[in-house]
Amino acid sequence: MDLAFSGWSGIIILAVYGLIMLGVGVFTYLRNRNIHNSLDEYYLGGRGLGVMVLFFTFFATQYSGNTVIGYPPSAYRQGFEYLVSVPFFIMIIMAYLLFAPRLYKLGKKYKLITPAQWFEKRYKSKAITILASLLMLYGLGNYLLEQLVAIGQGVSGLTGGTIPYQIGVVFFVVIMLIYGWLGGMRSVAYTDTIQGIALLLGVFMLLIGSIIYFGGLPTSADYMQVYSPEKLGIPDGPGIMNWFSLLVMIGIGAAVYPHAIQRIFSAKSEKTLKRSFSRMAWMPFLTAGVVFIIGIIGISAFPGLSTDESEQLVGMMASTIASQNAIFYWAMILLFGGVIAAIVSTADSILLTFSSIISNDLYGNYINPEASEHKKLLVGKLTGVVAVSILILVAWFPPATLYQIFILKFELLIQISPGLILGLYWNRLHCKAVFAGMLAGTLVASFMTIFDVTLLGIASGLWGLLLNVVICIGGSLLISVSVVEEDEAKQVIGM
Amino acid sequence: MSQPNREPIKNGKIWIVFGVLLALLTPWYFPESFGEILIFGVPIWAIIIIAASLLLSAFLSYVIKNHWMLEEENEEHEEKGAN
Repeated sequence: MDLAFSGWSGIIILAVYGLIMLGVGVFTYLRNRNIHNSLDEYYLGGRGLGVMVLFFTFFATQYSGNTVIGYPPSAYRQGFEYLVSVPFFIMIIMAYLLFAPRLYKLGKKYKLITPAQWFEKRYKSKAITILASLLMLYGLGNYLLEQLVAIGQGVSGLTGGTIPYQIGVVFFVVIMLIYGWLGGMRSVAYTDTIQGIALLLGVFMLLIGSIIYFGGLPTSADYMQVYSPEKLGIPDGPGIMNWFSLLVMIGIGAAVYPHAIQRIFSAKSEKTLKRSFSRMAWMPFLTAGVVFIIGIIGISAFPGLSTDESEQLVGMMASTIASQNAIFYWAMILLFGGVIAAIVSTADSILLTFSSIISNDLYGNYINPEASEHKKLLVGKLTGVVAVSILILVAWFPPATLYQIFILKFELLIQISPGLILGLYWNRLHCKAVFAGMLAGTLVASFMTIFDVTLLGIASGLWGLLLNVVICIGGSLLISVSVVEEDEAKQVIGM
Repeated sequence: MSQPNREPIKNGKIWIVFGVLLALLTPWYFPESFGEILIFGVPIWAIIIIAASLLLSAFLSYVIKNHWMLEEENEEHEEKGAN
């Protein structure tokens, strides 16, 4: 992003954002001094998040800075075919209905803190819990790495290079670590709320500015009719396949992200959770829908951009709009500050979940079960800091070979879903089959991704998932589950 | 407990409706001409997709409100008990 218009005002707005986030951390710390002795309080906000905060913290897991910066260029290149981005975000909520109602109930009953803890409770198998934990840690680590790189690029873009990439990353990471350390889930959820509001306001101003200064959809449609009618057309055969697989894949994929699952446990009550989901079901129109329109307007505003150039589309549109008058100037600065804040808010959620898996599942369950909660928390927090430091080094000195191992995230995270979801409903599901499925799915998905193997145009993560499900179900039908085991599972599920 | 527990996954009818909505949300059933007719700069097939998306959101809200009821009653009792 090169935003010639910002410079010093960009630096001011970033400093202000940073200070507000720190303020939230200190405020949360002062108001909740007891949270550092309880995993429940620290990682789940004491299971007391209300509708609005819970809503925005779900919002932050689904919509990141990438939605604003990366989606309009896709709409620019694909035209109306990219309208799929609206329904696929709605599908995430439908995917939640497959498991969230029951998982919330069980989370409350057993005081679950992490998704991995559900595996422990359900299968009582060290192998499954450790494999699932490692998959989540690895996937989350790479996801975090991606956010760190995006923070650096965003800051240097917004300030016109005045603040270099490295300083941008360190500044926001240090702030994130401080407020996360001080307030845990509460800090994260409160900052998510502020960041979400800033982002929504900025995006709306960008839409209004685009309509005023570039003309609305009819202007763009006139242009497309003459120069690129295919962008108005109905998707063709492969286009429809791609559309459908996006609907299914994003729906299930985004719903089973570990930090998304963990938020189910933080809800104050079932009613709160339901209301948050209900609102989330309508958000895609205001987020993905709005940025889609911005991308379509871009087609006539900046015609003929190459793929690389089009990636800068939002920056170009914002620069033009910002140069019109003072209101739009500050609105665009706010927007880009909001974009960076949104990336930070995605990163802080990931980091918190990362630490919780260390605290609760690996250290707290296997390494030192006798430790006090205070100590477990400390180990989780410190491991989080070490992990972030390593990821920053990776971001600065990208390895020349094998960089694909840092791309794997969705492919791995989705492999925990069969054990997680099927295990909620099917007493006969055998722990050996779950383990074998998870491992096989992971290996196949990783192999296909690293060596760039494609089959029938379906994503490698989905091939792994398919194998995983087949092994889970087939294996469970073949291996006889003892009456005792089946009864135990029934007891755990309890309905 | 006065009302039975309700869980969306156990209600087959709900998933039939979701299936129908998913079919409506995928642009496989439009005649070629739908890409050429524009309303306020939006092709008519895209308007139908947006309408189907709105239906999906509305149906989700309905299901969440009326067909998901596992803990709510207990929680309300707890709250009353605490007061």
